[in-house]
Amino acid sequence: MNYTQEIREIAARLLENGQVDMVIAWEKGDHEYQTIPFIARTVDEVGRIVCDEYSIHNLSNSLLRYRDGKEKIAIVVKGCDSRGIVRLLEDNQIKRDRLYIIGVACDGVKDPLRAMKQHSGFERIQTPEDGLAAKCLDCRQPNPVIYDEMVGEEQPIRGETDRFARIAEIEQMSADERYRFFEDMLSRCIRCYACRQACVACNCRTCIFDETRPQWVGRETSISDNFMYHLVRASHMAGRCVECGECERVCPVNIPLMLINRKLIKDVNEFFGPYEAGMEYVEGNKPPLSVYKENDPDDFL
Amino acid sequence: MKVLKMSKIEQVLDRLAQQADVYVPMLRGQQTGFFSWNTYDEGYDDLMFDILNVYQSPKHVILPQTEKMYSFSQEGQEIKIDVEAEEMTPKIIMGIRSCDVRGIEHLDDVFLTKGYVDQFYKARRDKTTIIANACYNPGTNCFCESMGVNPTDSEAADIIMREVNGGYVWDVKTEKGEAVTKQIEDLLEEQEVELFPLKPFLRKVNYEGVAEKLKDMFEDPMWEKFSEPCQTCGICTYLCPTCYCFDIQVKAWGDEGYRFRCWDSCMYREYTQMAGGHNPREAAKERFRNRFLHKLQFFTERYGRPLCTGCGRCIVVCPGGVSIIKIIDTVKEAETGA
Amino acid sequence: MHNCSCENPLVPGIVEVVKIIDETPDVKNFYVRSEKGGVPFNVMPGQLAMVSLIPVGEGMFSVSWQEENDHLEFAIKRTGLMTDELHRIEVGQKLGVRGPYGNGFPVEECKGKDMLFIAGGIGLAPLRSFIKYCFKHRDDFGKITILYGSRSAADLCFKDELFEKWPQQKDTQVYVTIDNPEEGWDGHVGFVPAYLEELNPNPEGTIAVICGPPIMIKFCLQSLEKMGYSDEQVITTLEMRMKCGIGKCGRCNIGSEYICLDGPVFNLAQLKKLPPEW
Repeated sequence: MNYTQEIREIAARLLENGQVDMVIAWEKGDHEYQTIPFIARTVDEVGRIVCDEYSIHNLSNSLLRYRDGKEKIAIVVKGCDSRGIVRLLEDNQIKRDRLYIIGVACDGVKDPLRAMKQHSGFERIQTPEDGLAAKCLDCRQPNPVIYDEMVGEEQPIRGETDRFARIAEIEQMSADERYRFFEDMLSRCIRCYACRQACVACNCRTCIFDETRPQWVGRETSISDNFMYHLVRASHMAGRCVECGECERVCPVNIPLMLINRKLIKDVNEFFGPYEAGMEYVEGNKPPLSVYKENDPDDFL
Repeated sequence: MKVLKMSKIEQVLDRLAQQADVYVPMLRGQQTGFFSWNTYDEGYDDLMFDILNVYQSPKHVILPQTEKMYSFSQEGQEIKIDVEAEEMTPKIIMGIRSCDVRGIEHLDDVFLTKGYVDQFYKARRDKTTIIANACYNPGTNCFCESMGVNPTDSEAADIIMREVNGGYVWDVKTEKGEAVTKQIEDLLEEQEVELFPLKPFLRKVNYEGVAEKLKDMFEDPMWEKFSEPCQTCGICTYLCPTCYCFDIQVKAWGDEGYRFRCWDSCMYREYTQMAGGHNPREAAKERFRNRFLHKLQFFTERYGRPLCTGCGRCIVVCPGGVSIIKIIDTVKEAETGA
Repeated sequence: MHNCSCENPLVPGIVEVVKIIDETPDVKNFYVRSEKGGVPFNVMPGQLAMVSLIPVGEGMFSVSWQEENDHLEFAIKRTGLMTDELHRIEVGQKLGVRGPYGNGFPVEECKGKDMLFIAGGIGLAPLRSFIKYCFKHRDDFGKITILYGSRSAADLCFKDELFEKWPQQKDTQVYVTIDNPEEGWDGHVGFVPAYLEELNPNPEGTIAVICGPPIMIKFCLQSLEKMGYSDEQVITTLEMRMKCGIGKCGRCNIGSEYICLDGPVFNLAQLKKLPPEW
């Protein structure tokens, strides 16, 4: 997709007539396959904005930095990103009237991080793959679910595959096999917390893993502390994860984090659902695990 | 010249592994890094001597991610502590590139000089032999030469392997290197070979005078601009071959436990969070600025060389596209009042 | 078993708490003595030590006083996880202590000068080591003025020294203030920087030493400058989160200086060269 021209025009208009103080979009990095987040605050800076096939970065995460301020913010979001904005609104992290949401209908993007890595010389590959990012191949939400202005024509849903197929496979494993599978997966975690930082749903002011009184999970990269970190974080995401896939994308050691997140999505669907987080914004709506109902299922207790 | 043929590499590793823990660059599953040859699994792992570099630098061999310092046990008001006896296995890091060797030189500066000698680090470092792999093909984001690193000749290496057709020239530099070479002498051949030329660098940066200029740029608006996309995720600090900041924590259960140190990152908010609530570097911009000033100015003032070796890893993996090259360029071009 | 911290700078030596004095509702003064008797190490005024309640954590504190070869004193305020636990211990508890760290006060250069000590809250603790040093070598120093303020009367530390012992010393004036008026208090009321300007002590031949909450230090520095003190005449001791204490873990830096190694004592001239990140 390429909406660079349209977005620039909209951004220039919004900044000129003072409707917003800043526009959160993307710009080009040093390489043609590198698109990175960018904030334009004046009409002059609008010329740097791009919205192209490498605009994968979920910009809704940047809103957290401005949650306490008063600035009016315009933000460009694709389908998956817009669910992140719904997440923030439902969590009362930012006020709707401060946002001007520019939605773009997306037909899939490529991952600049993957391109950077493949061109870096750090990987043994003959030719860099240039296809769509993995998460785009079975996209269920190409069109923004919330917007003030929409760019591009509505895109059809691309993914019809059963996203829980791999989960079902893992569920079939014996307890030992499953333990070994996750031990292999999580032992290489270096606890850089990039997944937490990249996640829109991780918006606690003081994260549980930063608490000292008590310290819930130790800092060691032992398998037990790593397990605890990922399981606790996933549990906090249950019913709230919007499947934007950023956590998995930024992980420096390629841990397939979406597997764990999808398992919880599957469980929430079964026990409290069907429920898809962030699909539409209705004021006052809360994620299923934020509300206690007397008839909540409890036969797993 | 002594030459090690490609076909003999695994034999060499086996031989060396008899007396030491040999760390070599490997592809293991989804990640690349330096792993112990003793853990090599033919069906799963892949030796990566030929690759430009691996993501995880070998700094963890001498500065482990988690390191037990001493254990303790309590009885009423009494307490006993027991310092961990350092494992005595010698270590060899083989196949390390110049940029990472310079990283180790910086760690040596930090942990072995200026008033105190870190005994845990010293115990490991004294027993570590460095066999560097000279680099002739700079990558897309490599700029080590601009930061004062010689890709084909590392200062702190005990032996330098130089890639030639079919193998490596075995260039011994120090006594430590001699001692290791003796173990595999019979596996080396005498041969006259031509060394590869160093290919030109794709990226250069001019660091001259940057440390001086930064002294007046603390309040420069560039920090706000550059830190905007930064998510303070910390990946840069974990993959950087020179980042060394650590935390000291305790693990206790009942009346026993141990104190350990682990890697920490200056990008996290609690890095300077004080007990009373005061935090001198609360905002992301302040931590971002502190990291780059540390790398480009403070370290140069203290130890004489910048804390960046030009390996390019941070540029590749940063989700926000932050580039230290851009920052150095901006400083270089900045007009300062002074 | 390893008991001496001299070989490995990150490993503490064991000391015993021989006395605990309740200074205020949240400050206690701990007297510690080495397991072998005497002090674990000698300190100069202003130096720091890492005190460790071993199963809980470590914290860097200034040594409030070294009594000859008998014991060290640490005045510690209850603020966080470790200090909270520390306030629950009883006499006889064994702690870990390693040090001394830091550069300490420039006692030699201050000899012959008039001394002006300005402290707020728990900030009196590091200054106390310098104050008592001056009294121990009274004739080496000129006039001594102590200005101390706290939130309330109950929060004033070292009350018996403040009100009884120190005012009785030769050529010494002690001024105490609290933030807000209080029943039973007929002393001065007002913030320390304001009281300082009120007293307007003469800068000539004087060294001013300040310690307190960062905001108080900042205001006092401004006041002193207004009153004509030169940058070399003003000394302060700073605080940062510290973990290793030996200038290696990286976090306590202000600019290129490590508070645990190059500080915590700086004069204003040095401080002005550093970035304002404290």
